[in-house]
Parts: sequence; structure tokens; C-alpha cells
Amino acid sequence: MNVTRLSKYGLVAPSIALIVSLTIFPVLYLLWISFLDWDLQRAGRQFIGLANYVHGLQDRRMWEALGHTLFIVVVAVAAELVLGLVLAEALAGPLPAKKVIIPFLILPVIMSPIVAGYGWRMLWDTQYGPINQLLGWLVGHPVTLVWLINSKTVYFSLIVTEVWQWTPFMFLVLLAGLVAISPEIHEAAAIDGAGRWQSFWHVTVPLIRPLMLIAVLIRALDVFKIFDTVFSLTFGGPGTFTETITLYVYLLGFRNFRLGYTAAMAVIVLILISLATTVLLRRLSDE
Amino acid sequence: MSRTTRSFVLMFAITLVGFGWTAPGRAQSAADIAVNAAKRYSGTTLRVLWEAGLQAQDPLSFSGPEWKKLTGISIQVVETPFPELFSKMVTAHLAGSRDFDVIGYVPAWQADLVEAGVLEPLNPFLDKYMPKGTLDDIHPTYRQWLNWKGKTYGIFDDGDVFVMYYRRDLFADAANRAAFRAKYGQDLVPPRTWTDWDKVCGFFTEKYKPSLYGCAIQRTEGQDYFWTEEAMRNNGVRFFDPQTMKAQINNPAAVRTLAEMVNANRNMPPGVEKWGFIEVFSAWMAGKVAMIISWPPPGRWSEGYGNRVEQLKWLPETKVIGKVGYAVAPGGHSELAAGFNLGVSADSASKEAAYLFIQWATSKETSLKRVMLPYALRDPYRLSHYASREYRALWPHAPEYLDTLKLGADRGLLDLSIPGAREYEESLDRATAAAYGGTPPAQALDKAAAEWDQITQRIGVDKQRQAYQEWAGKPNAYPR
Repeated sequence: MNVTRLSKYGLVAPSIALIVSLTIFPVLYLLWISFLDWDLQRAGRQFIGLANYVHGLQDRRMWEALGHTLFIVVVAVAAELVLGLVLAEALAGPLPAKKVIIPFLILPVIMSPIVAGYGWRMLWDTQYGPINQLLGWLVGHPVTLVWLINSKTVYFSLIVTEVWQWTPFMFLVLLAGLVAISPEIHEAAAIDGAGRWQSFWHVTVPLIRPLMLIAVLIRALDVFKIFDTVFSLTFGGPGTFTETITLYVYLLGFRNFRLGYTAAMAVIVLILISLATTVLLRRLSDE
Repeated sequence: MSRTTRSFVLMFAITLVGFGWTAPGRAQSAADIAVNAAKRYSGTTLRVLWEAGLQAQDPLSFSGPEWKKLTGISIQVVETPFPELFSKMVTAHLAGSRDFDVIGYVPAWQADLVEAGVLEPLNPFLDKYMPKGTLDDIHPTYRQWLNWKGKTYGIFDDGDVFVMYYRRDLFADAANRAAFRAKYGQDLVPPRTWTDWDKVCGFFTEKYKPSLYGCAIQRTEGQDYFWTEEAMRNNGVRFFDPQTMKAQINNPAAVRTLAEMVNANRNMPPGVEKWGFIEVFSAWMAGKVAMIISWPPPGRWSEGYGNRVEQLKWLPETKVIGKVGYAVAPGGHSELAAGFNLGVSADSASKEAAYLFIQWATSKETSLKRVMLPYALRDPYRLSHYASREYRALWPHAPEYLDTLKLGADRGLLDLSIPGAREYEESLDRATAAAYGGTPPAQALDKAAAEWDQITQRIGVDKQRQAYQEWAGKPNAYPR
């Protein structure tokens, strides 16, 4: 082995050490823990093989949490996509106040989700919240909707908060796609007799579809991990009505200290996210 | 009388008097013993884990500085919000960080904390320093919380019993009394049953809303289980089948109880489902509700006690001074909701000093001063507190207040205190909140019962059966 070869290994060694210590080791350790019956409140721990996984797959609360999460992912990301696209389309052309409007529009993204969550919690407040106040003015009598407790309104409140914060992200990505489309393509479509709607649907959308898929993928993965907003707005309530998978895993691990079971849950979530990502990426590469 | 006899009598009298004078001096109090023994640790610092906020004002502003003055030992207070307390104790222990010497913990968590190795048994220290019979002054109900599996892990320190507060003036009002009798054919008196509570609450709400509502109870998720546990047991529900350990919290009586609780919300202020301690308390102080059920502090503050101290400047001005009546919660058995024990951390490097601080702080003399601190949240829990002339003179209705606290403790119901208590309670809490949110009570409780069964299975049915039978055998586990 000559010096050049040694120096090659030397150069990559720090990166490998970093990856092993920060990524590979934690994942392997997580896997190992997931095979243990390890409850920090009880003495001892023992190897129980796949028992945590078997129990996890039969855990009704986990499946419910997963269902809640997927519901939020589908509704919130769809709403963000539609609203983001509408906003991007509206602001893609020449507009006098564009340079002022865009920075204002992206402000929510800059905000920490926990801050946004607590801010919206005050807005949704039954007694002092401006939302009930405004509705009261509109309908002419006091409105006392308990937005964050009532099972009929709680998802609406949660998703509005989420959409408010993250639509600007979708808007920015799509705006970048829209401004990159050459005006000549639209001119050609217009010459061929396409109206504004036809041009948008048959020209603009296909051209920005890869970008849309990337934006949807990023947002879907992000919303799948939704924690701060739920934590600050509902803490999964009423009961477990809005409990998401990340919140459930958090409660298992950090409130109930069931390390082995929590690790198994985390692995199951990891597998599910990996599967979803693979499907979406395959779809993207097909595009 | 001969000279010899006179001399003998004189000497005898002098001896008696002398003995009489010195006897009290020799029988040192628990506080004195603790202070004298702790002086050898002068210059050290004890870290105490305490609930954040007003609770922590006691060690920060009173007991900490006082202990430092008496012993030279500094007290460093680590404040933690209530929902994080348990996690903080366990994680600090697991990390071996030796973060705390004294731990203020909820007695219902004792079994779990002992199993996790967080708490140090106090028996060697008690044998060495605690004068015999001293703990007998702690109310017998609260004494049931000191031990786990035959060992003492904490000294009780906070008599958190639920009290029903009602507006005397509204109940005494002749028009109200006549209208109530006309409507229900019975006297308008502080309700003794939940059915009457609903009637009285509805009566006042109907008459006075929106300026005043008949009643309010905190309904926000997180502490709902206290009220559910109380109401269920008052309605005859037992938490488990003592033989099979199958959860009984979804039996017909339990479902009916939760349905009544949900139904009761209709007479409370709009949005009560999101009201916590502060919202209920503020409405009470502002004179906007006729009855509330809460912990002891509102009973003092709404009579104006402590309103002018720095720590309580944020309190809304009370508009109900002189109008506050006190009673045990409907059903006759109030929940002894939470409370606090003081224990020594198993990881402490200064266990003896930590214990001595606890002995001093919970002693008859010191604890009386602490429960009378206008700003702190420690509530009377010793028989001598209830009888204290000093306390009974604090405001005109203080004697009635103290008598109600004692009666509440006499008949009170202990929180479920077995391994996994926190998990059982959180599950019941979720079910209650879900029902307030619109889930049918039977469905919410079925789910909670299934979760309870899972918790029992996981911890071990035999182990839980033994722990439950021991707990259920305590005089204040269920109404008797």
C-alpha cells in the first residue's frame, strides 16, 4: 500500500467516521433496542425477539395514529398544493406590488412551527380568540365554538394552521417552476387556439409536474412527521382523536419510558416512510 | 411542720419546678433535631426538584432562605412544570446526573418511582432523627401515602383535597330560594349529590346567564381524570375486578357517570371544555360563577387572603370576599387530587442533609408557616394545621374553610396509587376528554378499559393484583 492510497483512505475516514457515528450506529442501536423488553421504570431488560413488532402491529392506537397522520398528510398537502399553485399562478406574471407581497407571503414558513401552533391556539380560543369574535360579528350573535376540543372542528383547525404555515413553501417552489417556463410556449398554445384554462391545464401543469411531485414529496414527508403543531394545538386530543404517529411515539418513549417498544414503533414508522418515499421517487423518475 | 419536713418539701418543690422547666427543653421537636443535625453540613447546597410556578415560591422565598439561615445549607430550586415532573425525575436518575437531592413528587407515582430506583427509603433516617409519634399529626388519610411495600419513601406535604366553593349570597337570596323551591320542590342548599349539582347549576345559569353561570369545573385535558375518578367512585364504580384485574371503568355505572359529566357541561360557561384551573378560578374571583370545585387555594384567595403580596399581584381582584361558602364535593367524597410527598433522591450525594431538610420543612412548626404562606400552594394536611388558632383567625370564614378541608380529608378518596398509576390515569383522562369532545362515553370508556387491560398485562397481572388489593384495602381508596 503506497502513500497515495493511504492518504486516500485518510481523506475519507473523517466522513465515514461521521456517518457511522451519527447515522449507522444510531440506526443499528435502535434496531437492537427494538428487540428488547426495556422499560426504564422497571428493573432489567431482556431480549424478546420480534415481540415488540408483533405487539406493535396489533396496537390499535398506533394504527389510529397512523390513520390520523395520513389523513392530515392527504388533506393538508392537497390544500397546500392547490393554494400554492393558485398563488404562484397569480404572482407569476407582472404585478406592481410583487416585491412586497412575496416576502409577506413567505413569512409563516420562517416561523417556528411551535410558535405558529401556540399563536393559532390563541386565535382558535373559545373565549378570547378573534376567530370566534369575527364569526360572531358576521352572524350577529356570540359564537362559542370550542374549535380544539370539538371532534367536528378540531381537524379543520389543525389543518388550517398547517396549511397557513406551509402553503408559502409550495408557492415558492411552484413559482420558481412557473417563471422558468418560456413565454413562447404559451404564445404557441394561444396561436393554436388554447384558452387561458386550457393553456394552464395542458401546458403549464405538465411542464411543472416534476417540480410539483418534488414539492409534494417534501411536504408529504414533512407532514408525516408532524409534531410541533399537534403538540401545541391539541396534544393529540380530544382523547387521541388527533394523535399522530410521531406524537404517539414521543409519548411512549418520553412519557412512559417504554424504550424497546418505542424503538420498534420508530422502526415501523421508518419502514413505512421509506416505502412511501420509494413509491413517490419511482413515480418521479417515471415522469 | 418540722424544719426537716419544710426543707424536704421545699427541695422537692424546687426539683419539681426545675424538672418542669427543663423538661420541654430536653424534648426537642422534629424541626430542632433536624436543624441541629444539619449544621454539620453547613456550606453545602441541596438541589430540590419542585413544581414550577407558585408552588416553587415556598422553597425560593421562604423555606430555602430560612433553612440557609438556620443551618448554613443552601437550597437550589429546580423548577419543572407539573406535566414534566415525572419524566424529569426518571430521566435524571437514568442519566445518573445526581441532579436532585430532594424530590417533590405526587404520591400516586410512588410505586413507579420506587420501581425505577428514583427514591431512597427514609426508614434509617426516620429511626435516627424523627421523634416517635411525630408523623401521627399528619392526617390519617394522607399517612396512607407515605409507604410502599413496607418502607417509607416520602413525607406528606400538601393536602390537595377538592373543595366545593359556593356563593353564600346567592344561596341565601330569598327570591332564589323561593324560585328554586317552586321549581324543584326542595330547598336551595349546596348540592350533596351530582343530580342536585346539575339542578342548582342549571337553575342559576338559567336565571343569570350570561353575567353569571351556575357552575364551572376545569375540563381541559390533562387533569380530567381526578374528577372522573372521584365521580365514578362516588357512583359505586371500582377500578378493577380484584380477582381478574379486568378494568371496570366501562361498566354501566362508569358510563352513566361520564355521560352525566358530559351532560353537566351544558350549564357551565361556553367553552368550559377548554377551561383549566386559572379560567375556573378567574371566573370565580370575578363573581361570574355560583359554584366551582377546585383545590384549596381559591378558598383562601377569593376571601382576599394574600392578594396584596408580590407573588400574587397577577391575581384578578376578588369580588366575592365574605360570600364564599365551603363544602365537600357532591357525592360526599372529595378526590385527594395529587398532593405532594417530599422524598430523597436515591442518587443524592447528600442524602442525610436532604432528609433533614424534609424533616424540618414538614415538621409541625415549619409546615404550619408554609401552609399559611399566602402565595404558596401547599395546603393544610396536619391535624394541628386544621386546629391552628393562628390559621383560623386569618379571615372570618377560615374556621369553616379548615373544617371543610379536614372533613374532605376524612372522607376523601385517594388517587389510584399502584404501579403504572400515571398511565392508567392518562388513559382515563383521554377518555374523559374524548367524551367532552363528542365521542360517546361508552365508546371512550371501552377504549380506555382496553388500554387499562393492556397496561395491567404488560406490568403483570399478579403483580398488579397484589398492589391493587393492597391499595383497595386502604380506608380511603373507595367510599365507605
